[in-house]
Amino acid sequence: MSHRTPDWMLERIALGELPPKELAAARARLASEPGGLERLAKLEADDGATLAKLPPSQVAAEVARRRRVVEASRSVEARSTSRGWLPAVALGAPVAAGLALMMFFSREELPERTRPEEVALLETTRTKGLEPKLLIHRQTRGEPEPLADAARARPGDVLQLSYVSAGRPYGAVLSVDGRGSVTLHYPESLTGSLALAGGTVSLSSAYELDDAPLFERFFFVTSTEPFDLNALMDAARQLARSPEDARRAPLSLPESLSQSSLTLEKSP
Amino acid sequence: MAIDVEACYRRYGPMVLRRCRFLLRDEERAVDAMHDVFVQLLDHQEALTQTAPSSLLHRMATNVCLNRMRSERRRPADADEELLVRIASLEDLEARTGASAVLDRLFGREQVSTRTIAVLHLVDGMTYEEVAKEVGLSVSGVRKRLRTLRSHLQELEAA
Repeated sequence: MSHRTPDWMLERIALGELPPKELAAARARLASEPGGLERLAKLEADDGATLAKLPPSQVAAEVARRRRVVEASRSVEARSTSRGWLPAVALGAPVAAGLALMMFFSREELPERTRPEEVALLETTRTKGLEPKLLIHRQTRGEPEPLADAARARPGDVLQLSYVSAGRPYGAVLSVDGRGSVTLHYPESLTGSLALAGGTVSLSSAYELDDAPLFERFFFVTSTEPFDLNALMDAARQLARSPEDARRAPLSLPESLSQSSLTLEKSP
Repeated sequence: MAIDVEACYRRYGPMVLRRCRFLLRDEERAVDAMHDVFVQLLDHQEALTQTAPSSLLHRMATNVCLNRMRSERRRPADADEELLVRIASLEDLEARTGASAVLDRLFGREQVSTRTIAVLHLVDGMTYEEVAKEVGLSVSGVRKRLRTLRSHLQELEAA
């Protein structure tokens, strides 16, 4: 490995963001290197050039604009879900079904072009690595085979589902398939506990894929508080009505619930 | 911790842009990514406690750029970029290996992406100790992550 001060350290030296002793040692080391101080001067000159080319006010305005777009997308999603979800929790399944229909039509009133973009934007602005995860392994004669998103699967494949709660205390696992069916995997019944454990937790029973066509998409929904499992199932059933939505769109859920999904593509 | 974007950019923006430029090798894409880094910083401002966030911004920029490289699937121009593209294109190693569970249990914290750790060590040349300090893991934790990664990138044994 080179003994030249690496670029990342040069940045810290320029910013002075090292503990005092480390900073002094790093500065001394840089000064002793051929061209070390010139590199530092060049970096500081680049700072000035960047700030001249992209002035702080201009960057701040662009960042604010991008953030408004993100927040507007979240707001649209929250409005559409609050109409369909929150009353459902309070009023029970029959009324929820009616409200779900209302929500379905109200979403239809949104301009067609905006919705996929909003979804895409929401997907891309989530911070990777900070979300609870669902893991799927296919049981084989040898080692269980981990399945990534969009992996191929066949009817009869036996899957072991596991989750990583990432600190969320409550959650549920369910799937929708290309036939429009919704299957609850965790908890085992609608009256079961939503409590999640820490670490990687395998569900108590494996799941055998049936002959539903096209795909099986698994959702892991988590929350910091208990939530209404019936309402979640209603949201899943609504999504499952359209195979295209069921394959790609998020569940319509309140912002307090987070969701991740993993889709298996079915082969005959 | 409330963020004053203008002040934050004035101090850290050039560093973030250089990082994005180094990883993406394209000025326009780098500028675009740099803006997104600050959007993400604002998104997480409530949880920020650091008073000297150069390390955090360096990691965030790395992560934003890796995500872009993964989605763009560009053809690498040289061996260095090929390594970056391969690291960026790795699927979710934590999910595939279950390493996340072990680390979550050990450290009770959210994870830094193994891909980011790989770039810090293999591309930036940080030692295990430096990476560990940077991402808040133990040296053995970093070593373990990279061991997992090596099984997916055989040639990294020689790195």
